[in-house]
Amino acid sequence: MTTALLIVHGLLAVALLGAITHQAASVLWPAAKPAGSFSGRFRAVAAPGYANTIVILYVLTAVLGGIIYGEYRVGIRIVLEELHLNMANGSFELKEHFVAVGLGMLPAYWYYWRQPATDAIVARTRAIMTGMLAFIVWWSFLTGHIVNNIRGFGS
Amino acid sequence: MNRAFPVFAIVFAVVYVVVYTLAVWKNYALFTYHPAIYEWGFGVQKPKDGPAMYWYGWLATSVIVALVAGLLASLVPAARRLWPGLAWLAPLGAILFFAWLLRGYFLR
Repeated sequence: MTTALLIVHGLLAVALLGAITHQAASVLWPAAKPAGSFSGRFRAVAAPGYANTIVILYVLTAVLGGIIYGEYRVGIRIVLEELHLNMANGSFELKEHFVAVGLGMLPAYWYYWRQPATDAIVARTRAIMTGMLAFIVWWSFLTGHIVNNIRGFGS
Repeated sequence: MNRAFPVFAIVFAVVYVVVYTLAVWKNYALFTYHPAIYEWGFGVQKPKDGPAMYWYGWLATSVIVALVAGLLASLVPAARRLWPGLAWLAPLGAILFFAWLLRGYFLR
């Protein structure tokens, strides 16, 4: 059961990673229009349309992660401690807190993405929040992936 | 959209992250989970037959306090002048704080 939930958690994380990366790239590194190159088209998405999906995916991924977190605490973290893999252990501890911080940002993130970007304060606020959420999602994804690789699938 | 929502969202973001940071630092968990025996307990409890997890309790503490603070602030008209940047500045501070708090994992 935990393995199935871990796979779904991973798939949701991949979708979230793609969505937040598209959105962050479009606001932090806007593409010239019309975009011709691959990277230009990657950045030329309609960023506001991603906000609802990102909020839903973030919450779902965090909830699923929370459900399987107990198994991690008993079956994996203890192994990391015994092997003295401090950086992997610390990275996961940071992931736990970063994800929690991101959850608290979601109402404001959602609100500012529903406002027109004509106001400079609104545009700056949502760009910074999107960049921070992208950092949290990338950190969490890579950390989860690395820790999963250390312990080994199904072991 | 309701004009009170941005006030709620900004206050929620700030209070939630401040309470979460304090909850982690001082261990103010609303409840404890004992994953080895699948048991929940109210408040901060010592480990039983395995590790104790406080993360769920820290989240619960933070969400409840932030919800109350956000709803109360949304009733105050003067709060509509809140600077939106607080919604990212407080979380950014928390991220830096946790990086400092857990630096021992990366420096030994």
